Formats: sequence, C-alpha cells, structure tokens
Amino acid sequence: MSDLDRWIEQLKRCEPLAEKNVKVLCEKALEVLVEESNVQRVDAPVTICGDIHGQFFDLMELFKVGGECPQTNYLFMGDFVDRGFYSVETFLLLLALKVRYPDRITLIRGNHESRQITQVYGFYDECLRKYGSVNVWRYCTDIFDYLSLSALIDNRIFCVHGGLSPAVSTLDQIRTIDRKQEVPHDGAMCDLLWSDPEDIEGWGLSPRGAGYLFGGDICTNFNHTNKIELICRAHQLVTEGYKWMFNDQLVTVWSAPNYCYRCGNVAAILELDEHLNKSFKVFEAAPQDVRGVPAKKAAPDYFL
Amino acid sequence: MEDSKTDDGLYPIAILIDELKNEDVALRLNSVRRLSTIALALGEERTRRELIPFISESNDDEDEVLLALAEELGRFIPYVGGPDYGHILLSPLENLCSVEETVVRDKAVQSLGAIACELPAKSISEFLVPLVKRLAGGEWFTSRISCCGLLPVAHRVSRQESEQQEVRGLYRILSQDDTPMVRRAAAQNLSAMAETVEQDVLSQEICPIFIKLTQDDQDSVRLLAVQCCGPLARTLSKSECLSSVVPVVQRFAQDKSWRVRYNVAQQLYMLCAALGADCSRVEIVPPFLKLLRDSEAEVRVAAASKVASVSNLLDAETVIRVVLPCVKVLAADSSQYVRSALAAVVMEMAPALGKAATIEHLLPVFLSLLKDDVPDVRLNIISKLDQVNQVIGIDLLGESLMPAIENLADDNHWRVRLAIIKYIPLLATQLGADVFQQQLGQQCMRWLEDQVFCIREAATQNLQKLAAEFGPEWAKEHLVPQVLAMVNNSHYLYRMTILTAVAALAPAVSHEVLCNSMLPVVISCAKDKVPNIKFTVAKMLERLVPLVDAAVAEHTIKPCLMELADDSDADVQFFAQHALQSCEVVTAA
Repeated sequence: MSDLDRWIEQLKRCEPLAEKNVKVLCEKALEVLVEESNVQRVDAPVTICGDIHGQFFDLMELFKVGGECPQTNYLFMGDFVDRGFYSVETFLLLLALKVRYPDRITLIRGNHESRQITQVYGFYDECLRKYGSVNVWRYCTDIFDYLSLSALIDNRIFCVHGGLSPAVSTLDQIRTIDRKQEVPHDGAMCDLLWSDPEDIEGWGLSPRGAGYLFGGDICTNFNHTNKIELICRAHQLVTEGYKWMFNDQLVTVWSAPNYCYRCGNVAAILELDEHLNKSFKVFEAAPQDVRGVPAKKAAPDYFL
Repeated sequence: MEDSKTDDGLYPIAILIDELKNEDVALRLNSVRRLSTIALALGEERTRRELIPFISESNDDEDEVLLALAEELGRFIPYVGGPDYGHILLSPLENLCSVEETVVRDKAVQSLGAIACELPAKSISEFLVPLVKRLAGGEWFTSRISCCGLLPVAHRVSRQESEQQEVRGLYRILSQDDTPMVRRAAAQNLSAMAETVEQDVLSQEICPIFIKLTQDDQDSVRLLAVQCCGPLARTLSKSECLSSVVPVVQRFAQDKSWRVRYNVAQQLYMLCAALGADCSRVEIVPPFLKLLRDSEAEVRVAAASKVASVSNLLDAETVIRVVLPCVKVLAADSSQYVRSALAAVVMEMAPALGKAATIEHLLPVFLSLLKDDVPDVRLNIISKLDQVNQVIGIDLLGESLMPAIENLADDNHWRVRLAIIKYIPLLATQLGADVFQQQLGQQCMRWLEDQVFCIREAATQNLQKLAAEFGPEWAKEHLVPQVLAMVNNSHYLYRMTILTAVAALAPAVSHEVLCNSMLPVVISCAKDKVPNIKFTVAKMLERLVPLVDAAVAEHTIKPCLMELADDSDADVQFFAQHALQSCEVVTAA
C-alpha cells in the first residue's frame, strides 16, 4: 500500500494528516493541478457536487449515496472548507483523492478557497487549533491558487462555483485568465466564484459585495454563444438540495445537508450517466451516532 | 536553572524551562506538556527541590495551562523519586483544587486520587488527611467542592479507623454545607462513598446523609441524590432498602421537579433487581406506572426506555395486567422521542411475556410502530425483529409482519431499507427457500437497482448470503440468470453493481456455472467504454482467479487483464496490473 493510499484511509476515518505529510501531499497536488485548464475538460459519466463546507461526516454520507471514489467519478464545485468542524480532513481527503485518481475526481475553486475568507470563516482557526501553527493553512491556501476555475462536461455542461461575469462572454476568455493568485476583489476570476443568478434582466449589483447578479437573458446568451445546454453551479443554499432556473438552463446544486448544523435543509448531488441523463440524489445529514464527536448533545441531556 | 544552559545537551531543556515562564500561552502549554522531560533532565533531587516549588507558585496561569499541569502532576510520582516522595506533589495540586475553573479542579482531584492510591501509609496520615481537612475548611466553596471528590479516595486509602471516622465526619459536614454547590458535590460522591464503607457504617452513617440530601430544598441537589438510589439499593440489605430507599423513590416519583422524576425513572429497574419480583410489584410498579404516564415527555422517554428491563424482572401476569396497557398508550404517544424509546426496547418484552401473550398484546404494538411516521421509530423496531421471531415463530411472522416488511423494503429513508436488507438473511433461514423466493425474491433483485449506492452494495452482499444459505443449485436457478440479465443497464453505476454481485455470488456457485455463465459476462464488460467499468472488471477478475482452474485463469482471465493493462486510462492500467500480479502469485502457488 502506498503512502497516498494510507493517507486516504486515515482521512476517511476523519483523522488529520501529520503536518509533514500535508506538505508532501500539497507538493504532489500542485504537480497535478498546475496541468489543468481554467475550463477543465471532464468526460461523462460524472457526479456533480456543490458546497461541502467542512461537514466531513455529511461528505461520508454523500459517498454512501453516490458511491465511493474512484468507482464513481466526481466533480466538486468548490467551498470545501469553512463553517463546518472538519475543514482540514474534508479538504485533505478530497485533495488526496485528486492526487491518487486525477482522472476520477475534479476539484474547482469556490469563493471560500481564499486566504482572506478562510481567516474569517473558520478554516484558519481550525488549522491553528489542530496543528498549533498556521503552516497547514499556508500549504492549503497555496494549493487553492492552483485549483481550476470551472469545468466543461462533454462540451455541453458548464460547471462553475458562483456564476457568470460581465467580463466574460466566451469560454476562451476564461481560458486566458492567469488563475494562480489569491481571489481578486473584482474582475472575471472574482465574478466566476462570487456571482448569483437572479430573476432580473441583465446584470445587477450583488448584495454579497463581490460578483454580480445575472438574469435569464444573460444565461441564455452565454449558453448560446458557447454552444452549451446547461450551467451547473453551487454557492447558494437551496433547501431542497437543488434548484432549476431560467427554463432549465441553469441549476444550483447544494451538498451540505443541515448547513452549519442548523439550517435543516437537505442536500443533493447530480448524477450524470454516460449519456448525460440527469438524476438528482437527495440526502440528509449523517445521524448523530455515525458522527465522531456529537455536534450537539442528544435531546434529553440538554437540561441536566 | 541558569547553569543548565552551559551544557549543550541540556540546551533544549533550558529552553523548555524558560518557556514555562514565557508570555506566549501556547509556549507555556507546550512546556507543561513536556514537564516530565524537564524533570528527567533535572533529576529527582532537583525536581523536588526546584521544579515542584516553582510550579506550586504558578497557579495564576491561564486555565488551559493549569489543566495541563493538573493532568501532568498526576503521573509525576516516578519523577520525584517514587511513592515515598509522592507527598511533594500534593501541595501544587492542593492549590489547583481551589481555582475557579471546574475542569481544572476536577482534573486536580482526579490526579490527587491517583497519587493517593500510591502513597505509603505514613504519608497518608501525615500529608493526605491534613490536606483533606484543609480543603474541607476552605473559606471559598471551590476547595470544599474538591474535597467532596477526594473524600471517597481518602476513606479508602486510610488505614486507621480514627482517620476514616474523621473523613466520614468531614463528609457529613460538607453534605450540610450552606452552599448548594458543595451539597451537590457531596450528593454526586455519595455512591462512591457508599462503596468504600462497611455494611453497618453504610446503614448507620451514609443512609441518613442520603435521606437528608433527598430532602434538600434545591432540586439540583435532589436530582443528584436520586442517582444514588440504584447503587445504594444494590449494596444495602433488602429490609434496609425497603425502609430507607423505597420511600424516597416513591416520593421522588411525585417530585414537583420533572428533572428529578426523569432521574428516578432511570433508577427504578435497579431497585426492582434488588428487591425481587414480589416486593417490586407492590412497591415499585405503582410509581413506575405513574412515570410512564407522566405529563412531561422527557420523563416518559426515560420510563419507556426501561419498560422492558423492569418487565423482565416481574412476573408475566403483572406485566400483562398493568404494564401492557401503558405500553399500548405509549405506542401512540404524541412525542416521537417517546415512541422511539419504546420501539428500541419493546421487542425485549417478548421473552418475558411468552408466545400467546406476545401475539395477543405485543404484535399490534410492533405493527403500529412499524408504520410510524418517524424513520427512527421504524428503524428501532426493525433492528430488534429477530427477538420477536424467536418467540412468536415463523408462521405468524409471515402472516403479520411480511406486509409491513414489504412496505419498508421501499421505504423513503435509505437507512430503513438498509436495516431491512440486513435482516433478510435471517428471515431467509426461517422462511425456507420456497416461501422466501415467492415473497421476497423479486425484492432482493430490485435492491440491486436502488437509487442509493450503499443499498446496492448491501444488496450484493445479501445475495451472497442467500446463495450460501440455499446452496449452489438454488442460486443457479434463482439468482444467477436474474443478476446476469441486468448487466446491460444503460447507467454505468448499475452495471458496476452487477459486476460486484457476480463476484459476490462466485464462491457460492458451481465451477461450471462460474466458468460458463458468469465469467463470459464479466469478460465481455472489459469492452465497456466507461473506464470505471473496465477497472471494476479487473478488480472482480482478481477475486475470481482463486476460484477457477489454473487453465481458465491462464487462458481466459489473464489475456483479458493483459489487454486492460494496455488501456489508455491510468486507473484501468493500475487495477489490471495489480490483478495480474496477484494472478502470478496464485498460479505460481
């Protein structure tokens, strides 16, 4: 058994890797990711997943429903870290799978894969708590810069974390971005990771303070120009796990059930078979007894 | 400590010592965690003379550091020169016993307990007992709370009767302390105290304290006292139990605080065990029934979860007459947690009731809980189904439960389906091949095409168990053709399940079926256009090699694997090569 296979086994038990192994893993990951395009080509069949946000045991639940990697091919559309209790284990597991099976799993960047955001929403603190230093955070955030920005499945389905950008009308424009940097505050790269679809005409200001709101006409134009039939994105909590918009030209997929351990939402993944037939698999948060550490105390204990 | 820097080998140690005083809490914490290393480097003598006094002065630190310190000191006897010098460690821990933070105090008490067990008799009288007295007389309540935790240990390790008496005297005083927090600590340690004393002391001294604590005007104290009912009942004689514990329990069952009632509900079955069936029927069953009908759902949860353990200590007639009516009501309780608690244990009542009563009274309860809206309730029932089989037998099970099981086989909640699948092999054993095939055969195949991966996986393992149970001929007729027919599914994940099912069935079928029907199908999948299917073929062939003749391995399996090893996909190459390697090992052997 190789080191890598051992690390994957270890991470599947939700045990973080030693700091020196994280360093080695990230070095190997860099070699794989640097070769990928900003619009990474992916072949069907593949299962598309949305935000995970460090909810490790819910990711295990996802694999129980969708199948294990490498048997099932996966595409994760970013936001692996922050908010949940296990960002370190979650991201390292996905990264280790990427290094071990580069053709079976694709990871693209979300707006939380950033130095600035992770310092506010938990990943930085979690690294500091679990390792006593920020080295692991530094290794991981350096790798974030190499994650691809989007993916294109069989030239027909475009996958991106957030949405579209007024600075981008063709996929080739995305291909020319120099992505190896911290997520900028504005511009095409920022918008791809931050924008949201909205029932408006044209472009609108985003309440998030980064990216834009884009309407159905923008989506139609983009799909037409680039000869694609669907935009698949994540980034927004949808309580049913997935949500169609713009006459089925865009779909939001959300894969963090009971988001932040309190939202009460279900999660979904989108299974594409080899003929691009779509089927959504909806799943719930892992029950209390399969989680390592109880997220909250069992009901009858809270008052004692 | 300065001079240790002169020696290069000791330099890291000097850094650790310096860091004990560092401003950065992370560095101090790190240093405390390695206190034993420092002590080893200093030697026993200097550890006693310099390190421990230094530490004794430093309890002004962050709680995190103090907690680590309290923990480390508990393991420190070897570093100060063994048990004869163990008393040196008492002083820094004594300081930690009076800090504000509860976790630090608890850890200090725990460490003191560990050290006390190793101390020689002389140190006990000279150092430990005076320490306990100082804590008991402490002005601030924190040290008195710590004292309560230490008294049971002190009593156990004291050799002299007079000292033991003194310790018990302190316990009595603290149990009447003005501060409720201290009385709470006393109540918390009552069971531990009861375990260390002789039988006569127990009834003469500890029981009155217990009674007094149970009458405390603070419900948080009563709450903790009630937890001693069970342990006390086990140690006291039956008559003493009747005279001192039972009245308390009966009163508690009607306490105005529902938290107290909740706790007493959890204690009752221990009392039943101590009192025996006849006595329990008269004394314990009435309060128990009251708790089963309590107005608070939490209390009903606690009582319901004990309904089987209490029933099993009683005679069947009493259970049927008085407990069962309550159970029927609970099965329709408005709280899902009550129904869930009941579902988890209600099956266990079957052996106590016997066959006829189970069929008449319990079966309707099972069936209604199996149809409950909440998946947890259904799951709790299913996971205990085997217990009811043993009592009511298979005929009736087939008639009454089968419709429910067929229903649950398509349950929306995949964990319910999983629980049912796991139960299938057991059911198969009892139903026999024919009945099974008729009632559940098709369902077992449908599970192979379930939406959820781990149901499909469980379905393949289920087939393996069925084949092992009913034999190769049955499998050849009822499993193999049906499974092979599904291999052309248009979705790669479902084709993969079929390949897995084939490999799972392989050990249980004849060589002829394996080589003539199954192997060709697996080999044909090597031409699939999805790489995931191709490497699954490689993995499955690897499992088949040990089951086939050397000739088949050489002429059928190996060429296929060689071709896959040249595939353009890296993962297909990897798994094919891996399979080829184990091929070599098997054929060489």
